[in-house]
Amino acid sequence: MDPYVVAIWIIRIAFLGGLYLFMFGVARLLLRDLRVATRDPGMALARLVVVASDVTEPPRGTVFGLDAVATIGRDVNNSIVVEDDFASTEHAALTFRGRAWYVEDLGSTNGTYVNGQRVDGLSAVSYGDELQVGRVRFRFERSRR
Amino acid sequence: MSAAVGVPGSRTVSRIRPRLRRRETGLLVLVGVILVLGSVSLGATQRQLAGQAVTWLPADTGQLVIYLGALVAAHLALVLAGRRSDQVLLPTIGLLGGISLLLMERLPQSLVTQSLAGRSFGLASIQLGWLVLAIAVITIAAIAVRSDAWLRRYKYTWAAAGIVLLLLTFLIGNEVNGALLTITVGPISGQPTELIKVILVIFLAGYLSDFRPLLVGASMRLGPLRLPPVPYLLPMFAMWAMALGIVVIQRDLGAALLFFAVFLALVYIATARASYVVLGLILFVVGSFIAYQLFGTVRDRVDIWLNPFVDASGKGYQVIQSLYAFGRGGIIGTGLGAGLPLVAGRLPIPAIHTDFPFAALGEELGLIGVVAILGLYLVVIERGLRIAASAADDFRALLAAGLTLVVGVQAFIIAAGNLKLIPLTGVTLPFISYGGSSLLANGVVVGLLLALSDRGVEPPPPPRPSRARRPGFLGGRPGGGR
Repeated sequence: MDPYVVAIWIIRIAFLGGLYLFMFGVARLLLRDLRVATRDPGMALARLVVVASDVTEPPRGTVFGLDAVATIGRDVNNSIVVEDDFASTEHAALTFRGRAWYVEDLGSTNGTYVNGQRVDGLSAVSYGDELQVGRVRFRFERSRR
Repeated sequence: MSAAVGVPGSRTVSRIRPRLRRRETGLLVLVGVILVLGSVSLGATQRQLAGQAVTWLPADTGQLVIYLGALVAAHLALVLAGRRSDQVLLPTIGLLGGISLLLMERLPQSLVTQSLAGRSFGLASIQLGWLVLAIAVITIAAIAVRSDAWLRRYKYTWAAAGIVLLLLTFLIGNEVNGALLTITVGPISGQPTELIKVILVIFLAGYLSDFRPLLVGASMRLGPLRLPPVPYLLPMFAMWAMALGIVVIQRDLGAALLFFAVFLALVYIATARASYVVLGLILFVVGSFIAYQLFGTVRDRVDIWLNPFVDASGKGYQVIQSLYAFGRGGIIGTGLGAGLPLVAGRLPIPAIHTDFPFAALGEELGLIGVVAILGLYLVVIERGLRIAASAADDFRALLAAGLTLVVGVQAFIIAAGNLKLIPLTGVTLPFISYGGSSLLANGVVVGLLLALSDRGVEPPPPPRPSRARRPGFLGGRPGGGR
């Protein structure tokens, strides 16, 4: 057999094999990422980041992971406690209902604001919106993976 | 239970600290090995066919070194800038671009020639120049774009710019193969549709992220369909009219198909409502039917697609040659450089470097190689959608998804056209086809994706600042509430 033919054959197969090796490498990275994601048990659905705060708790920069139902208020039984005299005991609730997130004012005295506008009852929020409860402003964000 | 899960550092600009990108390094080494193997295979085959002594050297060592050097430089720049962006995109694009370079080295260099400063350059040299520029664009965009405010604030300005570009193409475009595709300004000529597709995605991401609640919420019943009220449907009709306009005036079926498909996909991603997609598909069918009835170009394309052998030496010629090329390739292909004998001194497919690179690769790399190339596009799509899924807000998610889809859908349209799965339309195969506009526009797309994937990038600005009226605290009553 002509050594040239054999050699060129091997190189060609090696080139094609290399393409699949590359794909295999990418797939392994993907699997590793997925495993890391599943190993993390407390995967929050979304998060609230405190962007401005005039009170000591929560301070600016705090990040809250959100479950499907999260309540905000002054009472310690809320999932997010805002220690502010301007916040009501049970101030607002954030809920994830199938496709979208909603914020609901639970009859607070000073109101809940989305992007600077006071909300009555149930209203849809989208990622990137700004929520204000008392003297604390939150940014509503997608959870990081 | 919700709890404070971390306190990010203050937003002051921190010192730039280099950060190793091990995954990218590993994948780039693999890309280098693959490209050297491909180039050696091409070189040996070409020398053997030319009757020269067979040496096991790359086809064109200089060009290969320049290309790999550009990739390494891009990698080093990202490392030195300390970016925590996606590490798979650059090697994948590098591999696609390298395959493009091998293909262009393999085709007759006289397909495109240009003289610059007294020297004349052939197909592969020009493509190499564009590839290096595209890699530079990717790197600069990935490092320099630290905030997306300039994209989201000025969405109507972007839309206006896109429309102006489109109108310019309508008015002063040059005809290429029966379609108005290029604009020539002085010594520079380019294909504006490549840029318009990026602008379209930026506008749609801004528009849809602003009006998403309205589009999801309101509805009006029309038979079995739940549709939003008429005012919110207007953009869909406008988009449809624009796509039809491109077909009618520009006779560019590929761009029209690409724009409309990406638009529908983005609307679906933003709203998760099938009724929009159904409505869009109905509009698409109606539009296609009208276009088929009225315009010869459209009818030709569809007739060729249904049966190219009716006019085998005329209109159906290119498509038939493309099918033959896939047939000659078989499972593992003829090998780089061994396919495509010239027929009577001419290439069987005249537009092989722009519209049919997929067929050329099908012949020389075979089914295995073509599946691998489709796999590389899938990798790009997977990375892009992952970036979209982990974006901080709706605008970034929609932007990342749209940019990804624009590349993915375009690759699908032209690959399927080459394979006669859908009527052939003249769009480029991203990162593989010859052409500067296409490479640079797709470079912008990948650069933006890399920038969006950076975890250190600036947080999104508060939405709609013009309307945001900060509530004062003066009206409130401390200690109020139940």
